[in-house]
Amino acid sequence: MATMIDGYPSTRPRRVREFFFKGMSLAALIFVVGPSVWLIADVVVRAVPHWQWSVLTTTPVGVGGGLENAILGTLVIMVGVLIIAGSIGVLTGIHFAELQRPRRSGKAGGNFLRTSTEVLAGFPSIVLGYVGYVALCVGLHWGFSLLPALIVLSIMVTPYIAKSTESALRQVPTNYREGAEALGMATGYALRKVVIKSALPGIVTGLLIALAIAVGETAPLLYTAGITNSLPTTSLIHQPIAYLTYYVWTDYNQPIKATQYLSFDAALILIVLVLVLLVSSRLLVNRTQRYVEGPR
Amino acid sequence: MKNLLRSLTAIALATSGLLVAVALPASATTKTKIVTCFRLEKNVVHTAKFHGSCRAGWSKKRPKPAPVADDSVETPGTASLTETGSTLLYPLWNIWAPAYQSEFPQVSVTTGSTGSGTGIADAASGTVNIGSSDAYLSSTQLTSTPNLLNIPLAISYQMIEYNIPGVTAHLKLNGTIVSQIYQGQITNWNDSAIAALNPGVNLPNLKIVALHRSDGSGDTFIFSQYLTDSDPTWSSKYSYGTTISWPTISNALGENGNGGMVSGCAATAGCIAYVGISYLTSVLGDGQTYAQLENGNGQYELPTPATASAEAAGFTAKTPANGTISMVDGKVSGGYPIVNYEYAIVNKAQSSSTTAKAIRSLLEWAIDPSYGQSSQYLGQVRFDPLPVKIVTQSYKQIKEIQ
Amino acid sequence: MGDEMASSAALPATYPTRRASGLRRVGYVVRGSEEGLWRWSARIASLIPVVGLVFVLTVLAVKAWPAIKVNGPGFLSRSTWNPGSTYGAAVRTNGVLHPVGASYGAWPLIAGTLQTSAIALLVALPISLGTAFALTERLPRWLSRPISFFVEILAGIPSVIIGLWGVLTLGPLLANHVYPFFANNIPNVPVLRYFKGSVGYGEGLLTSGLVLGLMIVPIIASTARDLFMQVPPLPKEGAEALGMTEAEVARRVTIPWVRSGLIGATVLGLGRALGETIAVAMVSGSVLGTVSPNIYGTMTTIAATIVSQLDSAATDGTGFAVATLAEVGLVLAVISVVVNVVARVIVNRTSRHLAPVGRG
Repeated sequence: MATMIDGYPSTRPRRVREFFFKGMSLAALIFVVGPSVWLIADVVVRAVPHWQWSVLTTTPVGVGGGLENAILGTLVIMVGVLIIAGSIGVLTGIHFAELQRPRRSGKAGGNFLRTSTEVLAGFPSIVLGYVGYVALCVGLHWGFSLLPALIVLSIMVTPYIAKSTESALRQVPTNYREGAEALGMATGYALRKVVIKSALPGIVTGLLIALAIAVGETAPLLYTAGITNSLPTTSLIHQPIAYLTYYVWTDYNQPIKATQYLSFDAALILIVLVLVLLVSSRLLVNRTQRYVEGPR
Repeated sequence: MKNLLRSLTAIALATSGLLVAVALPASATTKTKIVTCFRLEKNVVHTAKFHGSCRAGWSKKRPKPAPVADDSVETPGTASLTETGSTLLYPLWNIWAPAYQSEFPQVSVTTGSTGSGTGIADAASGTVNIGSSDAYLSSTQLTSTPNLLNIPLAISYQMIEYNIPGVTAHLKLNGTIVSQIYQGQITNWNDSAIAALNPGVNLPNLKIVALHRSDGSGDTFIFSQYLTDSDPTWSSKYSYGTTISWPTISNALGENGNGGMVSGCAATAGCIAYVGISYLTSVLGDGQTYAQLENGNGQYELPTPATASAEAAGFTAKTPANGTISMVDGKVSGGYPIVNYEYAIVNKAQSSSTTAKAIRSLLEWAIDPSYGQSSQYLGQVRFDPLPVKIVTQSYKQIKEIQ
Repeated sequence: MGDEMASSAALPATYPTRRASGLRRVGYVVRGSEEGLWRWSARIASLIPVVGLVFVLTVLAVKAWPAIKVNGPGFLSRSTWNPGSTYGAAVRTNGVLHPVGASYGAWPLIAGTLQTSAIALLVALPISLGTAFALTERLPRWLSRPISFFVEILAGIPSVIIGLWGVLTLGPLLANHVYPFFANNIPNVPVLRYFKGSVGYGEGLLTSGLVLGLMIVPIIASTARDLFMQVPPLPKEGAEALGMTEAEVARRVTIPWVRSGLIGATVLGLGRALGETIAVAMVSGSVLGTVSPNIYGTMTTIAATIVSQLDSAATDGTGFAVATLAEVGLVLAVISVVVNVVARVIVNRTSRHLAPVGRG
């Protein structure tokens, strides 16, 4: 930076605006961090006093019990969404960023596909859930089960993955691609070995954020996965599956305390799950970043 | 920084691993063998769980009670049943299901409380085995899904509860007043109409907040039936149903489920709400109380098992074989006006005979006076058992499930 | 672009890079076998979201068609929500069976959706931009990384938990302490009158807007932060050398540089706000049939209505209530599509070129 005395603006309005700007941006930060901390602390405070470790190892019984079915169900749903939405979303992002034939004007192509993917991102989850119910659970007679839930969640979450993959790929410097081309690498090979590797942090972050969104969804699962007290089975259809958000949504205002505590316990487990997802994504990013020179 | 993060993560993982390693065996060792024991008392089978061995007077062998009312419980094969629907019946299902499963562990029963509307809809579409509903099926529902049965399981009733700080008396209310409250014509608790019925009570100057169910609800069904019978204006404008178009008034709130009604009313001073009797303990625990309602004979009755069974008795002879009847606001002396059958909505045609048998077994167990209808279960939710004639009728309906 | 050269280049198959690129020789295809796989799988994958969208819209339209025939164009401006007499007789209008007296209108729902999204955007946009600026410019690096990570955590928190906090903690607190202060102290003039009146019990329009705003802040903030970090330092340093204050640099250099990206992020946030179901269902009070008279009043949005009414709609044996909900969902889908398309037009028109692939 050029040697500068801390630039002291000459006129009062500018000074005021500067002060306002600095103050407001810090205040904004507080308005974000504050409620988030409050939110998490609130859940912890509600759940911890009545926490029992048996919640993790028992299934719901009567009005109380545990959440083992829901925890395992949520994990199963996570893995399923990762496989389905992850592969489709990443490939879609690659298509938009790398392989789309650009227009003659120099702008990137694929506007229709991109717009429709973005439209899907804003779709109300309840509508998707209901369409899944009508078309898959009732129409195809699958009943409440895992596969309709996975399909609906994947449709919901793929646009986010595609968008983050595309932006991560766009951030990879053109130098890398040109260097790979200069070395004679085919596009696919270059993609795999050079471009995606350097975009991997962004891609993985997008994947994990999308997973966290999927895991936290209630409305689509209410109408596709149903609910059950038993542990997840291997059947994809005809067998309902439990998930944590059901208990948070259904039991939070139950007058019977045992049921209410179940709701708070489920909320706590959900937050821990989301934290684990995001922290591990961050650690993963740091590990791969060690060997790749990125813009960060 | 990175190293710090890495070491912190390692420590956290190690600690949590240690905790799990310690906690799981610890929780396992506290599990001594739990046995299910039975006892026959007054022709009712009581179930209890003990650690290790049965206490004196109980035995591990399931006793056979003398058959009553033409009902016998079938033994099912392995099945997994799902039930959902009425939030009014939900507390009872949560008592019935573990008791049934302790006798027939091969059947797993999942209960849900999504509202009578969902119970009916899901039973109709086959996504759930048993739908619970406080409301019987409508003619249009029967036309679109002809194979549906509504099988009476128990007799329940509904209270009108309120949260008026300082008032602990059971106010006398009638259908006309409640209807006017929900239409916004009576807006304050110290209104002359309410005061006229309750001369000895000091009613404060407090705005009434009328709570209603926003989900499809059997409670709304019987409540609106009561208002329809009492108030001709309500009858012509709003009528009754599991969902109705509520009058738009300024102080109204929509709540989800009976649970939502209770907690919503607890948080709202001046509220009035209609709640199923199975939530009585929660209502009283939150400092609220309930009203005496005027029945068809002009008497004011409290919601008790006695008044409810009196009302139901007046309808037993009239109940048709398919169970479809409204017991609201009958002209029964000493009867509480808002009483209803709790129905199991089941599709006659099930996908497999194993499932059908399990459903039949569960329902037969539920309506059997020696099992599900005994006071050890119904007493916990203050329901009334079905009269013998209705048990027979329900049993005939259950037999149609194939 | 590089791939164009690769696909159209007519280089001899014996080009020495065969060994360097490590490709297996598969038949006559030497280079590009992997590329073909990538290209085709990516192309198919990118079609799947479109197919999904078309499928969803089609199912919606098919299910909504009976209701459209009966409700007519007045559906969007009517304010009633009357399921009719579901236990009475069913009648036919325009060939569609429905309960007698059934009359639906979506205006309060549409108004509620637009109002809550507007409040959410109004609240979220300054906060997100301020946060992004704070993270990129004001805070030292050791502080900004954990905090920006924290913002990403907020993005991942399930909406049902945010709704839980909103209805159990935030709502009552606001209704008991914050709203009365405003309601009592704002002068009784025409526009500001909207902020006076009954403050309710915490469930209502303003609370829903605030909760929604909190939910979309992470989306806009993390994208804005990434965009701000991409702005090259040279123009900013130049501006500062000219004597501009940080506020002016932000306003005249940084934001215009990333304007199209910001608009994209805002649209994504708006889309989330329009479609948010569970949190709003918990915090809005779920009152059908009226637009709230003041900013604190209970209302409902389209998405919250669908989730709260779907079960009861299913009891309408004629299927008309369900068809109406599908119609309402279709309205929301149309609003969402329109918003996104408009945003894309803005982005395409204002950007000289799309964010180029990697600068320098």
